[in-house]
Amino acid sequence: MPFHEKSAWIMIIALALGGLLYFSAILAGSSDAGALVSPRVPLIVLYTVCLTVISVIGHIVIAVLAPKEANAPADERERLIIVRAGHFSSYLLGTGIVLSLVLYLVSGSGDLLFYAVFASLMLGQIAEYVLQVIFYRTSL
Amino acid sequence: MARKPPIANRVRELREQHGSVTQAELGDAIGVTRQTVIAIEQNRYSPSLETAFRIARFFEVDLEDVFSWTE
Repeated sequence: MPFHEKSAWIMIIALALGGLLYFSAILAGSSDAGALVSPRVPLIVLYTVCLTVISVIGHIVIAVLAPKEANAPADERERLIIVRAGHFSSYLLGTGIVLSLVLYLVSGSGDLLFYAVFASLMLGQIAEYVLQVIFYRTSL
Repeated sequence: MARKPPIANRVRELREQHGSVTQAELGDAIGVTRQTVIAIEQNRYSPSLETAFRIARFFEVDLEDVFSWTE
């Protein structure tokens, strides 16, 4: 498996795990409070730290296992994979942002808008890495 | 999105003819990863013109001795 594909897997795991923990905490807090809780900076900081720690440790491990590949720049096929994955995932991000804006127009809730945009960013990023893995395994 | 390119190639055959050059050795020589060489051999990726020329030059043959149009 190429280094950049391993890297994509690490980011999928980190983003999915971080997103799951973040929104689990929001749902748990909201059900306890009986209403949607407002976004809190400490939880976002915790999410960012989790994401960073998992991705840094993961990349260190795969770099130690294959140092030559880790230091090599992406070749022409890998660059194409990265560009295409970014291109297609941007549609998901854009759709998520538009839906978030519609949700705000309907609900008028700034908190809900924040969560919807945040979820769109997470899903857009996950989709980008999932598409990279798919493109690595199929024809370009 | 997952369409196979209409270009066939003889990269694997040429590797075997040239003293069993490995995919990694060929990749190092032409500036791509082993996985990209595998993708080219399996016809899952059409290389750039520059890489195609590098492959032909590596095996000291003409471009059309390596790649051919299949449609």
